[in-house]
Amino acid sequence: MIAMFDLVMQILKSNQIEIPLIQPVVDSLIEIPVLNALVALILWRPFFAVVVMPGLLVLMIYLLYIIWFERKLTARIQWRVGPLEIARPLRGAIQALADGLRYFFQEAIVHKEAHRPYFIQLPILAFIPVLLPIAFIPAGNVVGIKTPYAIQLIVAFISLIPITIVAIGWASNSRFAFVGSVREALMYVAYEIPFIIAVISMIFLYGSGDPYVVIEKQWIPGAFLNPLAFLVFLIAMLMATSRLPFEIPEADQEIAFGPFVEYSGILFGLVMVLAYEKLYVMALLFTILFLGGWSGPQIALLGDLNAPIWLVIKTLVAISIIAIVRSMYARYRIDQALRMGFSWFLALSVLALVIGAFIGMVI
Amino acid sequence: MKVEFKANKAEMLRSHIEVIREAFKQAVAPDRVTVEYPRERKKYPPNFRGIILFDPEKCISCFRCAQICPANAIQMTFYEKAWPGIDYTKCIFCHFCVESCPTGALKSTKIHDVAFATMEEMKLRAVQLMKPPEVFREDKVTVEYLIDDKGWKLVRKPEIDELVVEAVLPAGRRKISVCVDPESCLGCRICVELCPSDAIAVDRKANKLKIDAKKCSGCGICVRNCPMRVLELREVS
Amino acid sequence: MKEIPIEVPVEPPKELESLFLPIPKEYVEEVYKKDEFLILVGPQHPGSGHMRLIVRVKGDIIQEVIPDPGYVHRSMEKLAENRLYIQNIPLVERPAIMDSANLNLGYVRAIESALDLEVPERAKYLRTILAELCRIGTHLYDAAILAVFLGHTTGFMYPFGIRELICEALVRMTGVRFTSSFIIPGGIRRDVDKATLDWLYSATFAIEKRLKSFERIFIRNPTVIARLKDVGVLSKQEAIEFGVVGPFLRASGVEYDVRKVEPYEAYDNVDWEIVVADEGDSYSRFLVRVNEVAQSLRIIRQCIADLPQGRVINEQICDSPEIRGEFFDRLADLVLPLGEFTTLTEAARGSVIYTLVSDGESNVTYRLRIVTPGWLYLRGFMESLKGERLADLQAIYGSFGYFPPEADR
Repeated sequence: MIAMFDLVMQILKSNQIEIPLIQPVVDSLIEIPVLNALVALILWRPFFAVVVMPGLLVLMIYLLYIIWFERKLTARIQWRVGPLEIARPLRGAIQALADGLRYFFQEAIVHKEAHRPYFIQLPILAFIPVLLPIAFIPAGNVVGIKTPYAIQLIVAFISLIPITIVAIGWASNSRFAFVGSVREALMYVAYEIPFIIAVISMIFLYGSGDPYVVIEKQWIPGAFLNPLAFLVFLIAMLMATSRLPFEIPEADQEIAFGPFVEYSGILFGLVMVLAYEKLYVMALLFTILFLGGWSGPQIALLGDLNAPIWLVIKTLVAISIIAIVRSMYARYRIDQALRMGFSWFLALSVLALVIGAFIGMVI
Repeated sequence: MKVEFKANKAEMLRSHIEVIREAFKQAVAPDRVTVEYPRERKKYPPNFRGIILFDPEKCISCFRCAQICPANAIQMTFYEKAWPGIDYTKCIFCHFCVESCPTGALKSTKIHDVAFATMEEMKLRAVQLMKPPEVFREDKVTVEYLIDDKGWKLVRKPEIDELVVEAVLPAGRRKISVCVDPESCLGCRICVELCPSDAIAVDRKANKLKIDAKKCSGCGICVRNCPMRVLELREVS
Repeated sequence: MKEIPIEVPVEPPKELESLFLPIPKEYVEEVYKKDEFLILVGPQHPGSGHMRLIVRVKGDIIQEVIPDPGYVHRSMEKLAENRLYIQNIPLVERPAIMDSANLNLGYVRAIESALDLEVPERAKYLRTILAELCRIGTHLYDAAILAVFLGHTTGFMYPFGIRELICEALVRMTGVRFTSSFIIPGGIRRDVDKATLDWLYSATFAIEKRLKSFERIFIRNPTVIARLKDVGVLSKQEAIEFGVVGPFLRASGVEYDVRKVEPYEAYDNVDWEIVVADEGDSYSRFLVRVNEVAQSLRIIRQCIADLPQGRVINEQICDSPEIRGEFFDRLADLVLPLGEFTTLTEAARGSVIYTLVSDGESNVTYRLRIVTPGWLYLRGFMESLKGERLADLQAIYGSFGYFPPEADR
């Protein structure tokens, strides 16, 4: 038993993240019998990448931040103040937390017509394709699963998310959920092909799907290397996360939140943040492909933590800027979005592919 | 004037840029219009129609307010005289009652935010109308809408707006009740019974009405209730 | 495209029988036999207002829409029979509270035409200002609702922000933000002082300035144009046939405005134009109203500039300069002569008709008929939905500015 424990500790200790800033604290904690296993686990590189940064913990903080920030920004543009009363000295900064708690203690109603098991399971199952890509997203030395095909794998997992949303709409068994599911499926076809082509164009450009190679080759940010792919990826991101002007599957005023119309309580809280999580994963990929990933000025004290911090900061900045689109545009119609997706949007992505292949040959 | 709209690609692109420019402009320097009530309060003009105050000294118990009320929110109750009580579950703040009051016993205030615990409490009796309702003031700042060359601006002044305003009294022409057609008077004495200021008496021998001009307040109740319509309100200088 | 029918036996859902729907059971069965789908939009739907729309769709294309109005019916016509003429004023302005002055004006004009009352010039101008302020307010409200129906929340907030100035102007003039009951037979309740009018004059420019922001972010927004252009088209012929009124009729190319055809108040003394458009689609319906706001501002400015001095209430009604203190004595006992009196007024959403029937001896109405514009253009609204996509339902709804409380009365 003790030998087992030692073996585990040895494995954990062999691959520890190194942060000079907190090293003295770690050194003292590692002496304490039970805590040492916990500390070693947290600082184990794959675990740190998936659960702490840029994984789950940062994802949670990001969710609290982006919901508040988006509301504040929208309010500012709309001549309003936005959330204010909860934590007034912080100008309502923990509004999202308060909402989340409220969802948590609210009754989750499962209506009679719903397919009960799927209706309850699917919001939780939907997290699998959202969270799986995080295991493959590297941040410098901090990486969950290291593979040269990371970018392809991330794209593959992102493509799985709409299936769960369509399934949620089906399990809800209501007319608006049905219309919403069909719209989600149609939108999926509209953006997925240009999106994948845009990613392929970048893979052509860098000559590899390995994020390390991708970062290495970005002597200037990828956005300047292939602006067309940048544009296509950006619009595809708006379409994929159903944000305005492509908020078609959820359209409150038309089909009352589409596939999620029947959800309430914490189940609604879960499905509501799905799009935000998808946005986070796509923005991480966006940062790696177009914004130079985790490259940035190094601070010696932070050690291995430098890369994840830069990655997260760049991602958050990118998302914060994208959040402004919500207060600029009205919603397109589904046929307009489809026509767009299959005409100039597809053409733009093919053009991006040509440019990517050409520049890829040059550099 | 004919409205026409023709869009070409270049114009659409320019519109896109305008939209983005406007959004970023507002994000940087917003033209915010929020008044953070109740921490700050907007300044309303003195003619604002709010909660109604009642002055018993001036009231002549003429029932005009209760009879004009379109929402039937005013009920007269007898204290020393008949005084109006307002049911704020029904009141629509049209202020027909204030306009009808010939002596200015009812006056408007700028109070528009009174919370009641129950529906019963909203039925205010006359004694509760005499002083302004208790308002919990959180505001330290008064906001005014200022218009200058640059457009509409919210100006915040660190002062507390006085909500009870001086009443503007009506022209105050004194009227008294006069019997215009004594021949037709039935002598039914309805007016005598109704008169709140005991101004009317009947001369038994002559079977004629005697109206004491000094006592008559000009409420007009006798005029409205006379079955033969022989009474009338006349102005006296 | 060839359609291949699929023979799948589908049972109509129970909910369509259990609700009080204005459609027979056979209709539901017929729809379900023809691989079509019934969607109930409203009354508890974020994009319906207080009414239900029974939408019959084939795929994404709307085949037919059956309206189910009456959720906010308040029996105004019956209520009006139990009140004094003057007490009806707060009642009749309530169908559409943003548009209170126009609705108030129509009723008061009916009384005035019965009593043959002449309104002083100054009162006429001030009434015009009030009516136009309410018109702007209503158009801004409708624009905001249209914006939020398209998912454009900024377009929703801006008009409501601008409307705050309209409310402020009404507060300064009348003492309340809306439902002012300010217009009474023979004139208005109070004179308006010069400082207020000067403020209002400069406020019209501030409104125009703010509308520029709104124009950039919403009116000229390409996504908005894409959603509204060529959607819900009513041709000139159709618009006349279905009895559409107001700005929606003008958007289809009919040059008809009660303010020009039968001018009342000060409308024939000021210089303004009828706004028309040819297309008859949702966007032109919206644009017509946007341009009407500009015209209304123009009217207000002219009214303030040319405002004559004098009384604000007719001497027959009240010989003192203001009605304060004599409201009851002067107006409570109005008795109209025997007969029927009809007025046509241009409210913000179209012509509103008041018909007063008096028995000649009592001080309450014998019958008051109110026909509001919402009710008149409901048919045109339903017809324009045919053949459009389901997502266009809200765009067309917003472009008509249909307001159930106004239509249901």
